[in-house]
Amino acid sequence: MSARVAITGLGCVSGLGQGVAAMWAGLTDGVGGVRTLSRRFDDDPRFPVEGPAAFIDALDGSAVEARAGRKVMAQLDPVAAMALVATHEALEDAGLLDGAAQLADAAVLYGAASGGNTTTEQGYGRLFLKGQPGVHPLTIPRMMSSAAVSQISMLYGVRGMAFAIASACASSAHAIGEAMHLVRAGRAKIVIAGGADASLTYGSWSAWKAVRAMAPDACRPFSAGRSGMVLGEGAATLVVEDLDHAHARGATIHAELIGAGASSDAFDLTQPDGDGAVRAMAQAYADAGIGLDQPCLISAHGTGTPLNDKTEAKALRALFGEHIARHRVIATKSGHGHLIGAGGAIEFVAGLRALQAGLAPPILNYLGPDPDCDLPLALGAPQPIGCEVLMSNAFAFGGLNSVLVARRAA
Amino acid sequence: MAIDRNSVLDLIAEEALVDRAKLVSEATLESLGIASLDVISIVFALEEKFGVVLEQTDFEGVESLGQMVDVILDRASIEQP
Repeated sequence: MSARVAITGLGCVSGLGQGVAAMWAGLTDGVGGVRTLSRRFDDDPRFPVEGPAAFIDALDGSAVEARAGRKVMAQLDPVAAMALVATHEALEDAGLLDGAAQLADAAVLYGAASGGNTTTEQGYGRLFLKGQPGVHPLTIPRMMSSAAVSQISMLYGVRGMAFAIASACASSAHAIGEAMHLVRAGRAKIVIAGGADASLTYGSWSAWKAVRAMAPDACRPFSAGRSGMVLGEGAATLVVEDLDHAHARGATIHAELIGAGASSDAFDLTQPDGDGAVRAMAQAYADAGIGLDQPCLISAHGTGTPLNDKTEAKALRALFGEHIARHRVIATKSGHGHLIGAGGAIEFVAGLRALQAGLAPPILNYLGPDPDCDLPLALGAPQPIGCEVLMSNAFAFGGLNSVLVARRAA
Repeated sequence: MAIDRNSVLDLIAEEALVDRAKLVSEATLESLGIASLDVISIVFALEEKFGVVLEQTDFEGVESLGQMVDVILDRASIEQP
């Protein structure tokens, strides 16, 4: 029989603040983390990054710095710095900060949708804008998609299998799902899994604007009058651990990871088709071995784009049928924005926290019902829920889907 | 910008993230935590700020900060007589 899998550590940083507690407070206070961003590339007014976004004002890297030294922290691209901050919290939460022996065989699977955008754009700025002959010698080691993985490994002495996983907005959910499979297969007792993303840079922001999927004001998942997504930045890390191993060392079990499903739409590079989402969710449920009628907290992908939410709502109804009424749907992108490569992980963390608290954080900025999104949405004040199970959806550009199912710790 | 001992030390402090006050000639690169990756960054910054072109190999056998600064200033005097 394959090993059972526990979640023993949680950590995150986003526009809602630093730490799981700050995120949870931000999700339940009804205000959210979206504000007006005003950044410039290279302090140059010609290259503004302006608009609604859930951004991090100032990352507090002091805990990481105390361990790694000022130098390590100062040389990181923001994406890796965020990854380390979230991972430090998760390892501390799991009681593994000084667990060199425990981590010697551990693995790292970390989602990366783009890599070090700041570093890449600084390099391009030198070459194309300023006509300088070369770029900083640390450009490649800072911008490579796996930089955060290596930093996590080096800083905490994690010496097992370690690599980055890329599936756009589902990257970190895929990382967590595969972490579960690694533990089940007995290939690792502990996996550090999650994702990070720092795309609020001039180049990346411009590219997202060009997709024409960004809302001019707010993210309103499943709402009438929704007009698109709002970008965020940050990281979320989970410690995924063999349940027996966790029990043996007296770790706190936040939840049990009981199922994962993954599929590809094989349909379109931007448009979702819905069928792939249904297959991933059905697979995750079959893997978890639970009934569709069991009350479930659904942490939706819920981007706030007209088509995405409509397609997800249709997929949820197709899977659950009449049982959908027993469930409750949350969409925390309305609070922390779209974290792209970290989205799946932070939404899973938010869902786990909600499961633990027995409260569904409300979908923010909701204007009214859309008949195409007829779902049991969590609206208004945080609502008590009686769910033991969480399903967390991540449906990426290019039709890459990853669904996680967890059960509240007994 | 003129290159002299002082400006080179400022640059090293910035690129290798070392406290400027610790940069005394007798200090070894090892004791200051200046590793090969830092030397690459220093070489890059020297070229960028002062137009002084050096290779990492120019620092072979260099152990102390004073030796490192001498190598840099020697090269600078050749390029900017």
